[in-house]
Amino acid sequence: MYKIASLLIALCVSIPIFAQEDPFQTVITPAFSPITWERLLNAGDEPENWLMYSGTLDSQRYSKLDQINISNVATMELKWAYQIPVIDRAETVPLVVDGIMFITEAPSNLVAVDAQTGRQYWRYDHELPDDLRICCGRNNRGVAILGETLYMSTLDAHLVAIDARTGNVLWDVAVANYQEGYSKTAAPLIVKDKVVTGIAGGEFGIRGFIDAYNAETGELEWRTYTIPGEGEPGNDTWSGDSWKTGGSATWITGAYDPDENLVYWGTGNPGPDWNGDARLGDNLYSDAAMALNGDTGELVWHFQFTPHDVHDYDSIQVPILADIQFEGRTRKVMMWANRNAFFYTIDRSNGRFMIGKPFATQTWAQGLDINGRPIRVPGMEPTYEGIMVSPPITGGTNWYSPGYSQQTGLFYVTSFDGEQEFFKRDEEYEVGERFTGGGGRYAQPMDAFHSSIRAINPVTAEIEWEFPIMPRSSAGITTTAGGLVFTGSADGYFFALDAATGEELWHISLGRRVHAAPITYAVNDQQFVSIASGNVVYTFGLRD
Amino acid sequence: MGFNSRFWWQWLLASGAISIFLFGLPALAEDAGNLYNTSYDIGQGQRYFERQCSRCHGFDAKGNDETGAPDLTGRLSRASTNVGIFNILRDGIAGTAMLPVAADLPDSQVWQLVAYVDALSIDPTNVNLSGSATSGAMVFTGRGDCNSCHMVSGQGGRLGPDLTRVGERRDPEELMSDLITPHEHVAPRWWTMKITGTDGSYREGLRMNEDSFSLRIMDNDFNLWSYPKTRIESAERIEESTMPSYAQTLTESDLDDLVAYMFSLRKEI
Repeated sequence: MYKIASLLIALCVSIPIFAQEDPFQTVITPAFSPITWERLLNAGDEPENWLMYSGTLDSQRYSKLDQINISNVATMELKWAYQIPVIDRAETVPLVVDGIMFITEAPSNLVAVDAQTGRQYWRYDHELPDDLRICCGRNNRGVAILGETLYMSTLDAHLVAIDARTGNVLWDVAVANYQEGYSKTAAPLIVKDKVVTGIAGGEFGIRGFIDAYNAETGELEWRTYTIPGEGEPGNDTWSGDSWKTGGSATWITGAYDPDENLVYWGTGNPGPDWNGDARLGDNLYSDAAMALNGDTGELVWHFQFTPHDVHDYDSIQVPILADIQFEGRTRKVMMWANRNAFFYTIDRSNGRFMIGKPFATQTWAQGLDINGRPIRVPGMEPTYEGIMVSPPITGGTNWYSPGYSQQTGLFYVTSFDGEQEFFKRDEEYEVGERFTGGGGRYAQPMDAFHSSIRAINPVTAEIEWEFPIMPRSSAGITTTAGGLVFTGSADGYFFALDAATGEELWHISLGRRVHAAPITYAVNDQQFVSIASGNVVYTFGLRD
Repeated sequence: MGFNSRFWWQWLLASGAISIFLFGLPALAEDAGNLYNTSYDIGQGQRYFERQCSRCHGFDAKGNDETGAPDLTGRLSRASTNVGIFNILRDGIAGTAMLPVAADLPDSQVWQLVAYVDALSIDPTNVNLSGSATSGAMVFTGRGDCNSCHMVSGQGGRLGPDLTRVGERRDPEELMSDLITPHEHVAPRWWTMKITGTDGSYREGLRMNEDSFSLRIMDNDFNLWSYPKTRIESAERIEESTMPSYAQTLTESDLDDLVAYMFSLRKEI
């Protein structure tokens, strides 16, 4: 009786509330139909959603949305902000699925919010051990989705499947032993019915790999090591037993071409980073692009950007795939602005080098030979006393996503013209300890260097335009059919450029460093653009 | 419950405290906190630092603007004693990227790291300078006229860095270099900008801050100006100090005295 009375009272009380102009009432409860593989294959055709880390399987980060465009972007205003409760560096690239946004947080947490208001549905906090081995901060860059399940990497080297409607854990597998220096920070990539995912730990003497897990059960379907084992081709590119601790991590998300059935993934530095004495040889497949069969993980081809790297020039960049006109015919290419400061256009069906040139200041190579192999400048290896080399350890660019516009045919990258003093040290490998063999030192303040957003023509590898920023940025780039390039900067700006000319059209000061890439999506026919800055995810739209 | 080696030093400190309480001995808490402070220990600490810490703090321990890791070569803002440094290394700093050292790292190695960090800053009591700080204070406000640009304890000018605690961040050799070759290492905050606005106006001033879309300066009359870059027609950046060299205008003795004075400028404990 008491319960019924309470219910009646509650209903009476709630009627006038619902009758008011409550903005939440205007939000249609999202239908959230399951994300099938077919939807992921055609993700570009539902631009109201952002269904994977790089937007589409080709990683172009190009959206067909054009409600916000070069003529009205100047009227963009803040719509909502979501404050991440754990203070750390936000490198998250959210997903948006039918009006729901999924945001990863440091260290390894996940929250689902209403994409129109930023208000929370649920959150998942991953329990972490105290003795993590992580090289470069507590980061997580995003999740993948298939069906109604989200897949997240965690700092203790687990892969977790989470129910997208509730945040409940469906399965949780240990990909590797975190106590040996393995960790996971990157968003996985869905390929058919598998969750393809990489590993971090290149500064701890790990042996890198790329894994594929059964999306339903979490069982390992295939593993491809990024360093060949004994008796395998390429193992002889490592002297002695150095292959066992050679790093070659895979800590950023790759791309997939369904026609070729190839997964493209970048690999990190050989270890120890700055002392190559104990790992003589090319050190395959470190600092390379690997093309793997999507069903079996079998290596089909590889392209090594920096053989026997001694400067930590990871090839941890997102590969961008496109079909472009090159020397009179359509070519299936992969575009890659590398940390070593060279830009490459590569035939993605066979891995052959097409063209490549420096896109940022570099002093370590005279150029590239006809196969794209660098011609080294002698004497630029790190020394015990220190030697100045460009680019610095952080590279001409780094892990942050580049973008490509289907309208302009240009490739956009955040670039840095800097230099650093490189030191070499002798170190013995110890399980779970850093194994880097040296380090670096800036001899000048950051403001003395030059940073910019550069637009590169993949046919000529020439820079078409550049927009200066300062200081070195680690923000990713997103392009739209509205003729826009969206990106951020280390000094806390979020801004829009004309994709054709580089002209600045809009900017806002968000106050803290942008370490993430923007996304764009739509709810109820309104286009939004989101970006993480500091510990906040900000979402913008046109003025109402 | 057995003896926990991780906390032996706390036991040691507690014993020291009891001794002081009982016998009234002078407090030596810092020294008692680190028995691993020989040159060998410092070398071992440096090896560990270069391997484990330099990624964020820099190979020279001078910090990194990008990672937010502070300069460790001067006074530490979060630890004033070796025990404080030890605790930060063991526990990390919550809410920051500063993680604890590996849990299984023996205390002896943590103390070696403490010894290295401690050795990065000069203990002023171990420094014998030829100059006189008292005379240097007079040069500072007299022949050197340094106070027309620099403040000390709230007194002086605004056109150079506040020197109230300069002795904590610069050693005597660096201070002498600052006086003789001021253009060698100039922080961007003290570069000069010459700006012509789109309205034709011309202003010159110290570069207080510059970012991708805007610039702020202070002119010689201490006016603060903030420019959107869209309203700048041309800007010249001079990456030199506005301070002259004192190599010719002051005597060697004056310079020695000035260095002694500036090195004495530190927070009183």
